[in-house]
Amino acid sequence: MKSSNTFLRYVSRGLVYLLAILMALWVLLPIYLIGVAAFSEQLAVYKYPRPFFPSPFSTETMVFFLKSTGVAASVRSSVVVALITLSLSTLIGAPAGYAIARFVFRGRETFRLLVVSTRAFPIVILSIPLAVSFIEWGMYDSVYSLALMHTALALPFTILITSSVFASVPRDLEEAAMTLGCSQLQAFVRVSLPLALPGLAAATLFTFVLSWNEVFAAVILTVRNRTLPALVLTVLDVSPLPYRFAGGFFMLAPSLIFMLFIRKYLFNLWGKVTK
Amino acid sequence: MKQKRLWAGLSTLILITGLLLSACQPTTVTVTVEVTKQVPVEVETIIEVTSTPVNYGNLVWLSTQLRPVQEAEKVRGVILADFPGTVEFIPEDEGPFHDRIAAEVQTGQGTVDVLGALHGNFSTMAPAGQLQDLTALRESLADRGIPDAFWNVAQLNTEQTYYVPWMQATYIIAANKAALEYLPSGADPNALTYEQYAQWAKNVFDATGEAKFGFPAGEQGLLHRFFQGFLVPSFSGGVVTTFAGADAAAGWQWLVDMWPYVHPQSTTYNFMQEPLLSEEVWVAWDHTARLKDAFEARPDDFVALPVPAGPKGRAFMPVIAGLAIPVTSNNVAGAEALIRYMTEPNTQINTLREVGFFPVVAVDYPGFVSPGVKLEGEAVTLQAASPDALPALLPQGLGGKGGDFNKVFRDTFTLIVLNGEDIQTVLAGQKPILQAIMDETGAPCWSPDPDSGGQACQVQ
Repeated sequence: MKSSNTFLRYVSRGLVYLLAILMALWVLLPIYLIGVAAFSEQLAVYKYPRPFFPSPFSTETMVFFLKSTGVAASVRSSVVVALITLSLSTLIGAPAGYAIARFVFRGRETFRLLVVSTRAFPIVILSIPLAVSFIEWGMYDSVYSLALMHTALALPFTILITSSVFASVPRDLEEAAMTLGCSQLQAFVRVSLPLALPGLAAATLFTFVLSWNEVFAAVILTVRNRTLPALVLTVLDVSPLPYRFAGGFFMLAPSLIFMLFIRKYLFNLWGKVTK
Repeated sequence: MKQKRLWAGLSTLILITGLLLSACQPTTVTVTVEVTKQVPVEVETIIEVTSTPVNYGNLVWLSTQLRPVQEAEKVRGVILADFPGTVEFIPEDEGPFHDRIAAEVQTGQGTVDVLGALHGNFSTMAPAGQLQDLTALRESLADRGIPDAFWNVAQLNTEQTYYVPWMQATYIIAANKAALEYLPSGADPNALTYEQYAQWAKNVFDATGEAKFGFPAGEQGLLHRFFQGFLVPSFSGGVVTTFAGADAAAGWQWLVDMWPYVHPQSTTYNFMQEPLLSEEVWVAWDHTARLKDAFEARPDDFVALPVPAGPKGRAFMPVIAGLAIPVTSNNVAGAEALIRYMTEPNTQINTLREVGFFPVVAVDYPGFVSPGVKLEGEAVTLQAASPDALPALLPQGLGGKGGDFNKVFRDTFTLIVLNGEDIQTVLAGQKPILQAIMDETGAPCWSPDPDSGGQACQVQ
């Protein structure tokens, strides 16, 4: 009786692992194949069945893609826009998130709903009015104004995530600090902030990735100063397969690296949110 | 502890960002080198042409054409190399292209100086007052030998000329040489009929057990052009007027009979050069620009053939791209100079050689174009010069309804060929939808439909 129980447990655990492996392969295999194709000779991309290793190994397509006009500048624009977005949305979003988490005020739920509802608005129909306003304000075609737009897009996420992060930091600790002589600000800086830091870091990196991948506003608000997705996605869908693999891999790689770093904090964050 | 690790993680991130940025530095250096390289070339050309050096300054050229990354690089590095001015060539999707110009015209502040797009794009922009009248420029280009038919189209049914024809392309057949031995006996590959084309597909299927003919029926594929410019006019002699007639039905029946020998993956194909290169497909119909890679990569393995002919002739659709100037252009003199430069015979040959679009001006085809382009060029010439040639123009005057017009043909295809529904019933069902589009836009008939005297084209 007991042994059959253990057996069943092994089987069910085995099945869980199998499922996990299948799910991992589901995601990783295409990424791997994109990588192989990005570093293969151009004609090898058309071979079927797909070769599992880049043979012969070639960086020709990748180098052509990286050297093509605008890629280097657009990578720089993308990083600049993402960093500004990250800073601005944290500076504005974190206090808002803290307020929602800590203070009970009239219309708190409505405020929370309003914040989310901005994301439900289809931004595509805004395209011409958005461009018109930016031209009229003299802010058109600049990475700094694009960063403002991205901040607006990222704020709902930042506010909601940071509010759950602060909500997970027990209020008692802050109060305890205040009984020991801290002012409210000091209690926040010395107690709440350090505890919330991993979650905040995850939220900011999430904002970074969001800005890094944003296409629509980047395309309509810039002409000559394009971010990488705006530059790449307008040309890749009509480019031959080898360039699509090279461009796709180049877009994927930074996000993957970021994910590697924030993975632990993301788990941390989601774990707290679901609690 | 946790914090330390976090800071370590963050600082590594910053390091990687820094590395990424610094990795881009050498590329910047290369760009500068290219610029200095261009300078002597400019000086040489200017000295040959005029005695005083001219510089047309900075220009921004927005284009829905030549968007593929390698084609855009050819435009910047080769085709524009001799132009006395600095041109930023910016490829853009159709949606943002229209939105941007609309916004710039609305505010009266432009960043874009020159536009490159298809006839269909300009036909919606001119009525919105976004394009300058280029009649004077047209007169100065009289010696280029651009066909009157193209100029007439560029007038967009007005007295003014809104764009200058820039380059043309069309659709042809690409065939793997392995397929040639299965041609029906007595068939001339350069003068096939639709009957022979279907028989050829069947022969290949019978011999190899595989359906190796392909069509670009994917979401981004251009199959609707096959119906509008090839199949329907070849069988019925018209596009809109004959849409629901018995002759058009015979064309659709041909496709139904042919479909078992067409590769089942066809509904996912967007560019036929890819399945051709992977040899999943041996014979395919597509746009010359979307077959070019196959001919360029393996010119010895492929042949380019004119499209088949039906009972009413060898219908084919020439695609005309043009250059225009938005009303908000900041550098009209430079823009006009660029248009003049792009229509010079030398530039037109360069355009053909580098990106595979065919000249709109009278040029002698030189021997130095690459084997792949030469293959395509010969097929295009053969097709246009064939005794039964029947040019069927791109839909005109539909404005924003172009997509709906295409959908009628795609839907007809889906219902008849993929769902196997009765041809006459489907055509009768689509007829009022097509008529509604024509009535709403008031679009007059275009070639090869007979002239409707300025009235909306009527489905018979």
